[in-house]
This record gives sequence, structure tokens and C-alpha cells, in this order.
Amino acid sequence: MPHIVNFKIMPTLESTEVEVNNDLVPCLPDFTSEEYKDAYSRINAIVIEGEKEAHDNYLSIGNLIPDKADELKKLAIMELKHMKGFTACGKNLGVKADMPFAEEFFSRLHGNFQKAFEEEKLTTCFLIQAILIEAFAISAYHVYIRVADPFAKKITENVVKDEYLHLNYGQEWLKANLSTCKEELMKANKENLPIIKSMLDQVADDAESLDMDKEELMEEFMIAYQDSLLEIGLDSREIARMALAALV
Amino acid sequence: MFGLIGHSTSFKDARQKAMDLGYDHIAEGDLDVWCSAPPQLVEHVEIVSAIGKRIEGAYIDSCFVPEMLTRFKTARRKVLNAMELAQKKGISITALGGFTSIIFENFNLLQHRQVRNTTLNWERFTTGNTHTAWVICRQLEMNAPRLGIDLKKAKVAVVGATGDIGSAVCRWLSQRTGVHELLLVARQQQPLKDLQQDLQGGRVLSLEEALPEADAVVWVASLPKNLEIDKSNLRKPCLMIDGGYPKNLDMKFAGSGIHVLKGGIVEFFTDIGWNMMAIAEMEIPQRQMFACFAEAMLLEFENCHTNFSWGRNNITLEKMDFIGEASLKHGFSVLGLQPDLQAVYA
Ligand SMILES: [Fe+2]
Ligand SMILES: [Fe+2]
Repeated sequence: MPHIVNFKIMPTLESTEVEVNNDLVPCLPDFTSEEYKDAYSRINAIVIEGEKEAHDNYLSIGNLIPDKADELKKLAIMELKHMKGFTACGKNLGVKADMPFAEEFFSRLHGNFQKAFEEEKLTTCFLIQAILIEAFAISAYHVYIRVADPFAKKITENVVKDEYLHLNYGQEWLKANLSTCKEELMKANKENLPIIKSMLDQVADDAESLDMDKEELMEEFMIAYQDSLLEIGLDSREIARMALAALV
Repeated sequence: MFGLIGHSTSFKDARQKAMDLGYDHIAEGDLDVWCSAPPQLVEHVEIVSAIGKRIEGAYIDSCFVPEMLTRFKTARRKVLNAMELAQKKGISITALGGFTSIIFENFNLLQHRQVRNTTLNWERFTTGNTHTAWVICRQLEMNAPRLGIDLKKAKVAVVGATGDIGSAVCRWLSQRTGVHELLLVARQQQPLKDLQQDLQGGRVLSLEEALPEADAVVWVASLPKNLEIDKSNLRKPCLMIDGGYPKNLDMKFAGSGIHVLKGGIVEFFTDIGWNMMAIAEMEIPQRQMFACFAEAMLLEFENCHTNFSWGRNNITLEKMDFIGEASLKHGFSVLGLQPDLQAVYA
């Protein structure tokens, strides 16, 4: 009788009621505190660098598929606009972005993309930029929007809509080529998803200073990534294996 | 298409289930991993009702486990994310099962309509409470006589009388069943007085006072944690309907000669080809399920795509009639006492 066991370990809802009341009061962080600004100097830099990488990566992918170069150039231009928007967010809070930190932060993923580009591995390029980086951005932006200052909130809300277009662009390409690219996709996932996970771990403390919960960031990422793989046409078991591999 | 949002009854069960389904990586993860796991649409099912109506449905596991109840934000996210998934999949009517509806109500999720890019459309969801209330009432009406209890002469205690299900049960029992007397038990006094006014009858009692007087007890509140009941004080026979979640009354009264019936559970007339109900610990998982889940199916059978059960105290007798009629028509019956139990008191 399994539910006898459950009774002993099952917490009751009553025990959580006090906690609930405290949590219902929405409360934004103090954007002017030194702790906030210090953390923001790194997070903001990561976001700016991420947009710059995205810009460069879409141009690179365009070089590999000349007939799509124009479309990809449009995406690249959007990324540049995002970069400017987020630069303004830092200025607005009086924060200087720590760019060397951010370059280092992206170095492994940057290296993997460059390698795939040189080997003309389009599937890997699309997975790294259009799926992993976009899903990472989308998830972080969703969490950020809930705790951002009003200026940054507005900018981020507009950016996130664009990122969905980019994610969608990558999905469509991978979907159309799934029959030939599945193996490479799996391999690229295995090599790059753990990097995303370690990037998340690395920003967790700074994100916490901005009231962004690591658990929530991870969950948002998994949702975006899982949705995307489903869209590409993988079945739910394949996705679970791929996506959840990053969790453990 | 109808949907069911459910969850495992414990972290241990959830891991086992993930392993069985081939989600090995997450199965091995600790509770933190599960806290970050997205909801999963794990099963599609096709069902044909007793009158030949064919519908499709989906089961969504929210990846919530009861161990997360103390993590308020996590529990809230699990429920909202599962609801978002249901809506994104285009499911017309989805029942919130197990702790899902409890969390929705107690954690005030009505304030959280926006989930990422999705504005949750409440019309697509139902707590399933109307069907649950009707099923509990029918279970009492059908099984009390089998124990020799004449409801027209009986005192029936409703524990959790002021809740959504509890108040509906009280209204039905006083107006339709015509029980001799209702004993109203709940934690807060003012809503109890309002209910009494509304019913124009019933006696407000504490749990300790009500139990020794009751010929039947309907439990629709979670059991107080350290509740000690002196079983020798209870009436015999006494029929207890365990309508709360999780269901744990039978162990409290095991061996005392008190009849405990799992409340709010229905049985379909034929096997349903699904795997997911096994996790809800039903005795016949291919046919039995929570009445709240069945409500989503019934609304789909009836093309009634609306949040039929929603909010508090909106369950009318007319709505109970509608869902009860649909329940019988499409092939559901309410769970009864085992036939051999009757012999004990014969
Ligand atoms: Fe961007
Ligand atoms: Fe982008």
C-alpha cells in the first residue's frame, strides 16, 4: 500500500500557508545598490557580448548558405540593435559592463562555433547559435523581465519577441534537414549543452543579486529548449534524453 | 481534446515513473533537478463513451511532487507551466488534478495569468469539483443503505463543509438527499455560520464533537496532521467517505470496523488504454480515476468547452445535475464498497 508511506512523508498544505503570504507581495530589487550594480556589470556584459556573438554568428552562417545570406543578415542586424539596447540599459543604471569577463564567459561556445564554421558543419552552427544561444537568451530574458527596472524591462520585452523569430528560423532549417542532420545534431547537443549548463552555473550568484533564481533560469531554459527540439521534429523520448542530459 | 494535469504521489514514485518511461537522465536527478524540469505531455489517449462518442485526450505531468509544497515559488511555477503547456497544445478543457487545483487556489494563481508569451485562458481549465461533489454525494446515497444506515434518519458530518466541494455536498445532502441532520465542521467560524444560514439548517460542531454523533462522515478537507481519533467513540456502523487529497483515511481507521470508502472516484464501463492512471494508485487503473479528471472528459464528450468548475462556491445543484447526468450517460459509475464488506455487518 504505497499511500501509507506517502502519508508519513507528505507535507500538508497548511505548513506552507505562512510562507505564501510573504511571497505574494511583489518586490523589485534596489537597482541603485552597490551589490546590484556590481553584479549587473557582469550580467549586462554577458548580454551585450551574447548579442555581439549572435550578430557575428548569423553573418558567418550566411557565408555558408549564400542563398539565405540576405535573410541571415537581417537577423544579424536585429542582434546589433539588441546589443545597443542592452548597452543603454547599463548606462541607464550607471554601470560599466565588464566586457573582458564576458568574452571569457563565451569563449568555449565561441570556440566550438568557430570550429564548426571552419568545418562547414551547418547543423552544429545552427544548433549552437539559433537554438542553444537563442533559448538561453529567451529563458534569461523571461526571468529578467519579471525583476528588471522599468527601462530595461521595456527593452527586454521587445528583444525577446525577436529572439523567438531567430529560434524559429533555426528550427525551420533543422526541421527541413532533419533526415540528414540528426546524428550531427545529437553530437553537437552532447558537446554544447553541458557548456550552457556550466555557463548558467557560473552566472548563478550574480543572477541571484538581480533576484533571478537559478532554478527558474534552468527551468525556463529547459522549457524553451524542449519546445524547440519538439518543433524540429524529435520525439519526446529523444528530447528528454537530449535536454535533460544537461540537468544531471 | 481534453487534458489532465497530474503529478506523482511522491518523489520516489516520480523517479520510478521517469525510469519506466525512458527518461533515465531525469530519473537519476535529485529534487533540485526536478524543480527545474519542464512539464511533460506524456500520453495521448482516445476514448469512446458508452453511447459511442469518440474523444481524444492528453495527460500532462507537471513534474511537481508533493515534496515541493514547501517551495512556494517552485510549486507555483510547476502548475502555471503545466497549464501553459496544455493551452499551447490547443487542449480545449483541462482538469487540474491532485495538488494542482489546491495549489492554484491557495497560492492565488489567478493573479498570474501571463506565463511567458501565453495569456492563460481560464475558460480552458476546470477544477473538476462539481463532478467530485456529485460523485461523493452519490457514493453516500448508494452505500449508506448497504450498511443499514437510513440517511433520512441519519446525522451526516461534513468535514471541510465550507470549501468548494464541501459546501456543494452540504447543499445536495440537505436539499436532494434529505438527510436528517448535517453536522458542519470546518476551521473558520464565520464561513460556517454563513453556510448554516444559506442551508437554513445544520449544526456547527468541532470535529471532536461531530464524530461520535455521526452515522456517516464526508471528509473533504485534508486530515489535521496530528489528529488522534478515539475509535471506540464512533458509531457503528459508520460510513466514512474519504474525499480529500491525498487519501489517507483508511489507515487511520484500519481494523476498527469503520467503513472507509475512497471518495470522488469513478469507474469507466470499459478499459481505457492508458498507462498514466497507474501512478494515481487506483485499484483498477484502466478504469478508475479521480472524478475531477473525468469531468474534463465529460465536458469534452458534451462539447461543453468552458471552465465548468471554477472559483469558490459556484457549484449549483443544477450544475451537479448536468454533470451527473453526463457521467451516467457516457459510462461512468461511482466507486462503491466492496461487496464482501457488507457481509461483515449483515
Ligand atoms: Fe538578440
Ligand atoms: Fe537572437
